[in-house]
Amino acid sequence: MANGTSTPSTPSVFAGQPRPAVAPLLERAADLAIAQVLDANGVPNGSLAEPDLSQAQLRIMYETMVLVRAIDEKGWQLQRSGRLEFWIPSRGQEAAHIASALAMAEGDWIFLADREPGAMLLRGASLQSLFAQFFGRADEPLKGRRLPLLLGDRALNIIPCMTQVGAYLPHAAGAAWAAKLKGDKTRFIVYFGDGATSRGEFHSAMNFAGIHRPPIVFFCQNNGWAVSTPTDRQTAADSFAEKGDAYKVRNLRVDGNDPLAVYAATKEALACIGEHGATLIEAVTYRLGFHTSSDNPDLYRQPEEVTAWECWDPLPRMRKYLEDRQFWNASAEDELQQRCQDEVNEAVTAAEAMAPGEPAAMFEDVFAEPTWQLREQRERLLAELETDLETNLETGA
Amino acid sequence: MTQMTVLEALGAAMAHEMARDGDVVILGEDVGTAGGIFRTTQGLQQRFGPDRVIDTPLDEKGIAAHAVGMALYGLRPIAEIQFSGFIHDAFEQLMFGATKYRWMTGGQYSVPMVIRAPSFGGINGGFWHSQSPESYYCHGGGMKIVVPSTPQDAYGLLLAAIRDPDPTLVLEPVPLYRTLRGEVNDDGQAIAIGEAATVRPGSDLTVLTYGPLRHDVLAVAEQMAEDPGYDIEVIDLRSLMPFDIEAIIASVQRTGRLVVVHEAPLSLGFGAELAATVQERAFGYLHCPIGRVAAPDLPYGFSGGDEYYRPNKARIAAAIRNAMEFDF
Repeated sequence: MANGTSTPSTPSVFAGQPRPAVAPLLERAADLAIAQVLDANGVPNGSLAEPDLSQAQLRIMYETMVLVRAIDEKGWQLQRSGRLEFWIPSRGQEAAHIASALAMAEGDWIFLADREPGAMLLRGASLQSLFAQFFGRADEPLKGRRLPLLLGDRALNIIPCMTQVGAYLPHAAGAAWAAKLKGDKTRFIVYFGDGATSRGEFHSAMNFAGIHRPPIVFFCQNNGWAVSTPTDRQTAADSFAEKGDAYKVRNLRVDGNDPLAVYAATKEALACIGEHGATLIEAVTYRLGFHTSSDNPDLYRQPEEVTAWECWDPLPRMRKYLEDRQFWNASAEDELQQRCQDEVNEAVTAAEAMAPGEPAAMFEDVFAEPTWQLREQRERLLAELETDLETNLETGA
Repeated sequence: MTQMTVLEALGAAMAHEMARDGDVVILGEDVGTAGGIFRTTQGLQQRFGPDRVIDTPLDEKGIAAHAVGMALYGLRPIAEIQFSGFIHDAFEQLMFGATKYRWMTGGQYSVPMVIRAPSFGGINGGFWHSQSPESYYCHGGGMKIVVPSTPQDAYGLLLAAIRDPDPTLVLEPVPLYRTLRGEVNDDGQAIAIGEAATVRPGSDLTVLTYGPLRHDVLAVAEQMAEDPGYDIEVIDLRSLMPFDIEAIIASVQRTGRLVVVHEAPLSLGFGAELAATVQERAFGYLHCPIGRVAAPDLPYGFSGGDEYYRPNKARIAAAIRNAMEFDF
């Protein structure tokens, strides 16, 4: 870059440089068959009709989006100041996951990826339990075993992801298939990113789903980047949705930064279960933040591209829509922002004060009953801890 | 008691569990209409229907991964992999999916699934039809592994695998499928996972083995029994994870000599774990180094594989003699 590492023989003009900014796909939504309710200014001018949502539901949708933004900003600060190990930003993707999760019924199962904390909140998870997970505390549903944002809780019918991107797609499809075989009415949604569509499991899940028609929504959040890999290096296809065609899986593209369109598309997918089984939804969105706290997007993308996408930020769009309908105003916004700050700060204080796990707890849950090997290894650790304690007492450490 | 081949015993176990428990389903390539390429599931789709005996696309990863999801929801899937040489595509799904849900969800979810994998050589099948993949699945926790090599063990261990609350890999003895017939008590009694069988009691040397070679080891031991001082104890481990540490240590403490025999390649094979564990616990009882008879660290050839790659009776006998004649 600065030292001129790109050579004239390099075929691509931008090799070694951030890719030239690409205009948001949403600017050409009609041409690209990306379904919308709202335009960039939050006015319902799009191809889809407004979904039938009460004022209360619309407010839940918006307030959850604002709360998730507040969580994301706080988490980022905590990571940058060394209080959290790791962070996976959700900035810009609030509408995609919150509106789709809201379309599901309470008993439906949700398989999460890693940028969907709003799904947990909609199902009733407390802010403190979320931050307890971020801090890796013992008393959270997953016992502090997973990296921050790899969330789940059986009590909420939310399954955390395998970290291997997309590897869990057939797990969601298999569970949906099982529900169908058992004659249950449970429906399923599984979240994943654009990069996940390149994995074999995406093919497996689509292929099985086309044949067996399980009751599931495959919800692809196409945020433009798989770490540093842009869409045109992920696939030569014109969209991620069209990959469903070869498998005879119903598919569509929707504006992922338009919560009303996402909600409508998800509801429609659920309504189509009887006829089609699965639907693949490609929600076109954008990762406004870093891939993770370990990333540096300046290496691969232009700030202008991010700025262009800021114009499609789902929060102001939704707010404008609510204000136009007299469901929202500046004082409600101020009150909400303050409440989110306060609640998040309280949750951080409470969660940070919670105890980390006992070291020997790592031996739990490998098998239903530990093998003799695990029992022995656990005893060894306990003895080691005992010795450490004695040594510390002797040395006054 | 009924006379059955190993194949018939496996089929009987599945039929028994499917009749007993409506959550048991079978999925795999060709398992339905055809009854499996070996006919292990013959008649089951006709009896239990295509929703419970499911013909899948040709996709080992997909078979394993969809079975994981089915198990998460509460079914008890039996996933058949046509040959264990084709299981590798499913490795990540099994070792980083199926075996990790219980742990990664803090005990909230479990994956009670069975993976049936026809294994081992001796059928002139070449590399991909003659594999012994057990070592890969012993590492890192979460998978139980059973290796039956008699009709009764096939019946009882498959029942145990289906009823187990955790993922269980069943390595089935292809060369014995139809050639070995025996009495099976098919009364629905499972054989506990983790219990070895002493096939031949003896006082001078212990051979630990599993899989089809159990029968070769036994034949060698019977032959050698004519020589004084060659009273060989033969233990069929039957379960590799967990393995029967008590039976092993008790035997080695009595005999003072140990040879391990398996078909998988030598380096980092299961024999390495057995040898390490035994010397930790019974070092003072050993009269000689622990011997290992295994395949070389290379692929199983079509030509010469069964004769030279796979451990044979002569090699087993030589290893036993080496141990017996060892001089410090």
